[in-house]
Amino acid sequence: MIAAAAWVCLLAPLAGVIAIALGGNRLSRRAAGYLATSSTAVAFAAAIVAFAITLSHAAGDRQTTTTAFGWIETHALSVKLALLVDPLSLVMMLVVSGVGTLIVAYSIGYMDGEDEERRYFAYIAFFVFSMLLLVEAANFLILLVGWGLVGLSSYLLIGFWQDRPSAIAAAKKAFIINAVGDAAMVLALFLLIQHTGTLDFGAVFAQAGLLGTNAWVINIVAAGLLAGAIAKSAQIPLHTWLPDAMEGPTPVSALIHAATMVTAGVYLVVRTHPLFEQAPHVQQTVAGIGAVTLLATGAIALVQTDIKRVIAYSTMSQVGYMFLAAGIGAYSAAMFHLVTHAFFKALLFLAAGVVIHALAGEQDMRKMGGLRKRMPRTFIAMLIGVGALAGLPPLAGFFSKDAILALAFSGGVYDKMLFAAGLTGVLLTALYSFRMLFLVFSGEESELARKHLSKHRGGEGPRWMTWPVAVLALLALIGGWLQLPGAWHLFSDFLGRGATLAVTREWLLSAVSVAVALSGVWIAWAIYAARTQRAPKAPKALVEKLYFDRVYDLLFYYPAVSLAHLLGAWFERPVIERSGEEIGAGTLAGGRVAAAIQNGLARTYVLLVAAGVSVIVLLFLVLR
Amino acid sequence: MSAGNILVWIVWFAAAAGCIGSALAVVAFRNALFAALALIGNLISLAVFYLLLSAEFVAAAQVLIYAGAVMVMFLFVIAYVGWDKDIAWTGGPSWQTLGGVVAAMALLTELVVVIALGATNELRHSNHVSADFGSPASIGRLFMSNHLLAFEVISIVLLVAAIGGVILGAQRRRRRSAGVTR
Amino acid sequence: MLGPGIAWYLAAGSAVFTIGMAGVMLRRNPLIMLLSLELMLNGANLVLIAFARQHGSLDGQVFALAVMAVAAAEVVVGLGLVVAMARRKIEIDADLLSRLRK
Repeated sequence: MIAAAAWVCLLAPLAGVIAIALGGNRLSRRAAGYLATSSTAVAFAAAIVAFAITLSHAAGDRQTTTTAFGWIETHALSVKLALLVDPLSLVMMLVVSGVGTLIVAYSIGYMDGEDEERRYFAYIAFFVFSMLLLVEAANFLILLVGWGLVGLSSYLLIGFWQDRPSAIAAAKKAFIINAVGDAAMVLALFLLIQHTGTLDFGAVFAQAGLLGTNAWVINIVAAGLLAGAIAKSAQIPLHTWLPDAMEGPTPVSALIHAATMVTAGVYLVVRTHPLFEQAPHVQQTVAGIGAVTLLATGAIALVQTDIKRVIAYSTMSQVGYMFLAAGIGAYSAAMFHLVTHAFFKALLFLAAGVVIHALAGEQDMRKMGGLRKRMPRTFIAMLIGVGALAGLPPLAGFFSKDAILALAFSGGVYDKMLFAAGLTGVLLTALYSFRMLFLVFSGEESELARKHLSKHRGGEGPRWMTWPVAVLALLALIGGWLQLPGAWHLFSDFLGRGATLAVTREWLLSAVSVAVALSGVWIAWAIYAARTQRAPKAPKALVEKLYFDRVYDLLFYYPAVSLAHLLGAWFERPVIERSGEEIGAGTLAGGRVAAAIQNGLARTYVLLVAAGVSVIVLLFLVLR
Repeated sequence: MSAGNILVWIVWFAAAAGCIGSALAVVAFRNALFAALALIGNLISLAVFYLLLSAEFVAAAQVLIYAGAVMVMFLFVIAYVGWDKDIAWTGGPSWQTLGGVVAAMALLTELVVVIALGATNELRHSNHVSADFGSPASIGRLFMSNHLLAFEVISIVLLVAAIGGVILGAQRRRRRSAGVTR
Repeated sequence: MLGPGIAWYLAAGSAVFTIGMAGVMLRRNPLIMLLSLELMLNGANLVLIAFARQHGSLDGQVFALAVMAVAAAEVVVGLGLVVAMARRKIEIDADLLSRLRK
């Protein structure tokens, strides 16, 4: 039963894609949207079924593998098309299909009237399929296939509005940076094949100990996997693509670049944790990268003016928290934060989408303001979202973030440094998120707002858009209650990798982090809402996103372009293009020479015959 | 070296000189009439060769028919057409002249080499032949028995040539009388 | 056999043949070309007769007679062409007849 449910979950969105593709223009645009939503809903239902059945099994017996057929069958390597259903993959399946259904439903309203709507729904259903393939994979190769397809879907959806050059450029950037990570990951897989002879998760992890702790092989393998994870999850230094990816439609940003795809890196690290545990230095690097990212991107978010970019940087920052947790071995905490983050980040993006939609595409926060009067429900939704993001109880983010901080604090010196970074991150998060809230919703109504919102009939958006937002707001409100410290640990029990902590310690730390968050809120309120303080001038480094884009341009882009120009001038034009002409000219010249023999004189033909005869006679003489 | 042998050698050289000299003359003369006369000389020299090779009937036929009839026909046409027209001696593309000479020399060289190589074995011996070897009677006998088909076919060829000659010659008059100008 | 061996006759015949061939390739006057063609045929005839003598077989002589007859026939047609050219007031120049090019 679980196997069937797993396959249905995987293939339902694919069936949706095929149906939309085959339907083509015969489908109405709305119908494409309904198809996509229902296919993802079917996937979610299947995931629930699989979840329920797995729950009914005893705690140690919660792993099911189902195989379709053997894909690569050689005596050196055997890889099958197999799905793995265990608590970790179930969590991801539920999040992807559940939040995915909500977002696809939201798209029906958001993308209404778009000419290319069917293409959009086909792409987004394809993305859900790819992501499910990634998380249900039972071996590294299927995971890699899902990994690549997810990258492809991201490229297609970022560049969805093909007539915008900025969108096309952003799509290319995302794909190329992901390709760097993918290449490193593939090298790691090659090493795994060479040293373990298999790519199945179970088999590889069983042999992890045999590879030796801190041996160079396992270090390189872990580093390669980490590189892939960094690229996919937009951590420093391969993070520059995510802010640009906001060129895509807002539901795409919500689904791919907040809730699911960027968390694939976290999933990978958690899934392959036996390998990382054998390479402790690499694992520490995971946490370090998470910490650096959460600080740097949190700081950059403070100076952003585009509402979607703030949320994008916030995503990178929160994924940094997840990496931090995975790096210190707090796997269930990382996954818990992944789940709650999916709720409130999707909520934030969708609510921002409502605002953008109402203001006819305007994304610059400086032109917004005072929307609270006209859009009260959206304000509440966004308030819940930023509250959860900042980690204010009893919202979802509080429980997950606190678990991470508590576990970090309980570790050694390095871990305590990570804790410090995380706590600073809490301050930054509260600051930038409430800054966004106040800029958009409080104060005087801006001109733009007045112009657009007065036209609205009072409703805040189409029903297809408001209902998913409401559901997500509810989830962001109560989602954290899965794991109440001191009371129950439903989530970590399910995952089986929990770490419990002394209760009092946790409460103390929670109090500290909440205090820090509230102080951030207060500062933001003072500057942006009550306007009692002036905002400090934004440092140039932050505005320039810490110069990463400039450096990459210098290191990679300009040399490549110059090289291309050079080759074009020195090689391509003179050699390749000319050779085309010259082959033609040469053939013509050769033809002219040959034609000279055909001068019509019988005497010439006699000469040719005589010449031929003498040659043949000569041959006869020689070959005697 | 008997006296008969020496005599034959001398005759051979004389005939050879005449043969090759007249051949060169045919190719070299600008005046077609002189070239035709040179060819007649060549034919006579060849007839001498044939006599030396015990081919009496062929020698007689050569002189009577070839030199006597065919060449006279040639001379008629040369007289009709004219022999001192100023046509270029040779011409055509630049490589034609050189190529022609080279090809001819090459072929001649190769043939001489072949003959020289063969002269060591096969070309040494020649059969003794009877007195009526090459006589008209023996050749006639062959024509009527082994080579009857060739005999008949030759006569057809000659007939066709005669008809062709008539047609080529008579065409103009028919067109004129029909009154159609082309 | 008295006198030179067959090889000499063969050499002489080859010489006449190649001289005739050179004449065909070099001369522009069609009458001279026809004469050179006759030279070639005669050179071949000499070779035939020489081999007939060597093998003691009259077949070579019969063949030579046939060649002679065919040469005569060919001369008839060739001269007919030259006369037709002259009648049409075309210059007697083989290089003008280059329609074979098309």
